Amino acid sequence: MPLLLFVPVALIAACGLIYELIAGTLASYLLGDSVFQFSTVIGSYLFAMGVGSYLSRYIARGLVARFVSIELMVALVGGFSSAALFLAFAYTQGFRLILYALVMIIGVLVGLEIPLLMRILKSRLEFKELVAHVLTFDYLGALAASLLFPILLVPKLGMVRSAVLFGMINAAVALWSMFLFREQLGARVLLRAASVLVLATLGVGMAGAERITEAADNSLYADEVIFARDTRYQRLVLTKWKDDVRLFLNAHLQFSSRDEYRYHEALVHPGLASLAGARRVLVLGGGDGLAVREILKYPTVESITLVDLDPDMTRLFSTHVYLSTLNQHSLTNPRVHVINADAFPWLDQNTGSFDFVVVDFPDPTSYSLGKLYTTAFYRLLARHLSAQGLVVVQGTSPLFARQSYWCIVETLKQAGLRTYPYHVYVPSFGEWGFVLASLAPYEAPMRLPAGLRFLSVHDVPELFRFPNDMLPVDAEPNRLNDQVLVRYYERDWREIAH
Amino acid sequence: MSRAADTGARGSLETVRPRARTGRWTRRNFLGFALIGLAPKTQRAIIGGFADDGHGPGHALRDHSQFPSARRTMKIPVVIVGGGIAGLSAAWRLDKRGFRDFVLLEMHGQAGGNARWGENEITAYPWAAHYVPVPGKTTALVRELFEELGVLRNGVWDDRYLCFSPQERLFLHGRWQEGIEPAVGSTARDREDFSRFGDCIRQFRATGEFTIPMDLGAKPSQLDRLSIAAWLRQERFTSRYLYWYINYACRDDYGALAGDTSAWAGIHYFASRDPEEKGPLTWPEGNGWISRKLLAKLEHYVRTGTMAHRIRREGNRLQVSAGDTDYLADFVIFAAPSFLASHLSDDAPAIPNFVYSPWLTANITLDRLPRAQGMETAWDNVIYDSPALGYVVATHQSLRTHEDRSVWTFYWSLAEGPPAANRRLLLEYDWDWWKAAILADLERAHPDIRNCVSRIDILRLGHAMARPVVGFLESQERRNLINSRGNLLFANADLSGFSIFEEAQYRGIQAAERVLARLGR
Ligand SMILES: Cc1cc2nc3c(=O)[nH]c(=O)nc-3n(C[C@H](O)[C@H](O)[C@H](O)COP(=O)(O)OP(=O)(O)OC[C@H]3O[C@@H](n4cnc5c(N)ncnc54)[C@H](O)[C@@H]3O)c2cc1C
Repeated sequence: MPLLLFVPVALIAACGLIYELIAGTLASYLLGDSVFQFSTVIGSYLFAMGVGSYLSRYIARGLVARFVSIELMVALVGGFSSAALFLAFAYTQGFRLILYALVMIIGVLVGLEIPLLMRILKSRLEFKELVAHVLTFDYLGALAASLLFPILLVPKLGMVRSAVLFGMINAAVALWSMFLFREQLGARVLLRAASVLVLATLGVGMAGAERITEAADNSLYADEVIFARDTRYQRLVLTKWKDDVRLFLNAHLQFSSRDEYRYHEALVHPGLASLAGARRVLVLGGGDGLAVREILKYPTVESITLVDLDPDMTRLFSTHVYLSTLNQHSLTNPRVHVINADAFPWLDQNTGSFDFVVVDFPDPTSYSLGKLYTTAFYRLLARHLSAQGLVVVQGTSPLFARQSYWCIVETLKQAGLRTYPYHVYVPSFGEWGFVLASLAPYEAPMRLPAGLRFLSVHDVPELFRFPNDMLPVDAEPNRLNDQVLVRYYERDWREIAH
Repeated sequence: MSRAADTGARGSLETVRPRARTGRWTRRNFLGFALIGLAPKTQRAIIGGFADDGHGPGHALRDHSQFPSARRTMKIPVVIVGGGIAGLSAAWRLDKRGFRDFVLLEMHGQAGGNARWGENEITAYPWAAHYVPVPGKTTALVRELFEELGVLRNGVWDDRYLCFSPQERLFLHGRWQEGIEPAVGSTARDREDFSRFGDCIRQFRATGEFTIPMDLGAKPSQLDRLSIAAWLRQERFTSRYLYWYINYACRDDYGALAGDTSAWAGIHYFASRDPEEKGPLTWPEGNGWISRKLLAKLEHYVRTGTMAHRIRREGNRLQVSAGDTDYLADFVIFAAPSFLASHLSDDAPAIPNFVYSPWLTANITLDRLPRAQGMETAWDNVIYDSPALGYVVATHQSLRTHEDRSVWTFYWSLAEGPPAANRRLLLEYDWDWWKAAILADLERAHPDIRNCVSRIDILRLGHAMARPVVGFLESQERRNLINSRGNLLFANADLSGFSIFEEAQYRGIQAAERVLARLGR
């Protein structure tokens, strides 16, 4: 019998802790700064529980009925807390307000539970027994919840469903208490109906969690998702927050419309402006048309060949109203030829030579992508370069992935090219690195196209200076049969994460 | 299959402990395995069949069936029997030395032997041999060939032919790890055993006895008196991972368990190679690429679909009967597996103690790829504790960053149990049975494999390769083949006691050189 009495104590303790953990986790997840979020969430939650405990003294009669209704309220508020927070984040401006309001409400309700329960039980047990048992089960429940949460709930169920599941447990405790204390309670048809209703509502919530998670997925990208598609090659997601549009490929940020001009001006102009009368340009990757937009600022350029793997990507950036405005309709310009092909074999099977080549591939996160950063690839590229021609390669971050960046430089050198490494600060990326490579010596441009927002002629030589924390480090060249870069890259970013 | 062999120590072997207790792949398991594989399951239709494996004509030879008599006789100074790497290399040498009066007879419709290949709408793929380790400085003949084929230019290996990263992965404890040396869950003792094994190998390498070709350095050795498994026990190695690894290497290279492989051969595998470059060399069609290149040069000497079925002495000459022709030759270079010779010729030495390992390979066409799990697909993909050897990906050397389809070559040396019994199994079980067994094996690592496969084509190789059993090094039978006087010369890789590209090439060229010398050229 005592076990039947005390198991609910452990269960409600677990529920209480889960809601607290969910609030803390979601706040860190969505707002960042996890130390701050967890401290404030836990603090306000504990304080609210104190308030609840204090308020319990004002409940004088009908203890069981009150307890049951409180359980049902916790079930509803707690059960849907996670969904509410996600949706609040996605669709309102007042996430913080709602967060702390929810934390306070749940805290007060949870604070009421244990005092009421102890009073209900006090007639059945001696006081010292009662306190010992209730607190023991309270702490046991908390332990179980704190272990279950990271190991099972978050990875397997996700936040929304975990909350709903524990809401259902609260509702079950309500039903169980009605049964246990049926003599004290008497026939309460309404309360029973309410419990069933709450349980059913949560059940529906469980089933609909998919939809809510989807909506929540939007908020993972922090901002409203305006476009999402799984293409044959990647997952393409566009988000918009006020005037800031961001493109994510497989969840890696590709650009933010607020500062992409820094990236693309730095990618194109130091090289292209230094070539007098470049006529044929090749862009590998860069299906967003933003580099092409910069290249079109040169009237001498007669043709631009853009080779990008993903037709969905180039189509989107040719037709989407906002995106084609952003790239100034570069992809539909008559000087531009869009080819959807895998760059390495394409280059291997084509003979054309180019005055300027932009190599703007995703970072070398896998051995497949790493092939595009090898001596073999760069040697092939060199064969497609006119005598005075230049290549520019996006080379990850010389600050966060220092060895990776210098490995790319070393690889270009091993392929027989002269290298001119430089870097630029792009707020949404941090410090970013590029490498100019050529057969003939390179000199910084004397003038740039008019109307650039970021670069000026005087600033260009500055880009080639590296501060101490980004200076060259030893790195092996990246080769097809020994892709050190993928390993460097993984290590570099893992170190950042720690 | 692979082995980059650059670590100086690699291999495998699960048969450490008393045999009965280690859950080895007994006949009973074998049958149980089949039942699991055959358990009815709703699945997509997978088509395919057995590839032409020459069992019919081969058995006709063994049974001395009647062959139609020849309609013409042709005098020709040299006949090469067998168009595998050994036969093709003999032809390459003769031709290169300006000697043009010879033919090469190949029983199959396609030459290449164990280095033959296939091709479908997705890619070319190997039927058996799929790589050549980057040859060291002393392996001069292989380097000469590769220079001629443009694989080696001015001392630099063409990086399109060096196996791309990642070379190997192993499915162990439910996940893929990089490399075949088991690392997941390895203990300090495992690592110590591996490093000590590496030290042993370095010492063996320093003796200069473990060369490629093996003939150049091999000396009578105590190591040929025990199995590699026994040697490991004798040296007090205890790591199960090391035993698995050495056993795997033996199954993979020799089609034999570590307990059935001479320690000398087991060590040769590791100690003979010290590559200057991270390899191995490989092509979509495996060593079929080399066969292809050689055939392009030598095509007009080669008569495919022509089985030599009788070799008879005619005065000073040998008469080789094949198809509708009797060739009257001064010399015959016998580059087909040597055990066949005694079925063709009364003069040929019988070699009853030669053991040949039976193998099965399958080319599996995938019109979509299984779900990725962790580590990317490598060139060579091995499943720990599988009775088979894993699979090699034919599209691995593609320059593309994205693949939707592929062909995997699945390797299975039937090493457990007597070779003759396994050869019977090869013929007894039908294609459905083998298909089910192969899918069941792959399913350990790829639960969704059945939804990806559209075809499985199976090649059964009853006498795939010579097995370097204990005592093979000083075997008198082997000596007899190598030193055979008269005008029947042997050339198959089995003269070395084990079958690798370099040995096949060396034996073929040796035979050609001897013929040229005897002809006074
Ligand atoms: C599954 C498998 C995988 C392998 N993988 C590798 C590898 O990756 N790397 C490596 O180096 N080695 C590998 N090998 C070893 C391979 O055997 C050698 O590399 C080499 O190809 C052997 O060549 P060979 O010419 O000596 O023999 P074979 O290739 O056996 O050639 C013998 C030829 O003779 C023909 N023949 C037989 N009888 C007659 C007859 N009566 N008349 C006419 N022709 C006849 C056969 O059809 C065949 O073409 C592998 C072997 C197998 C079985």
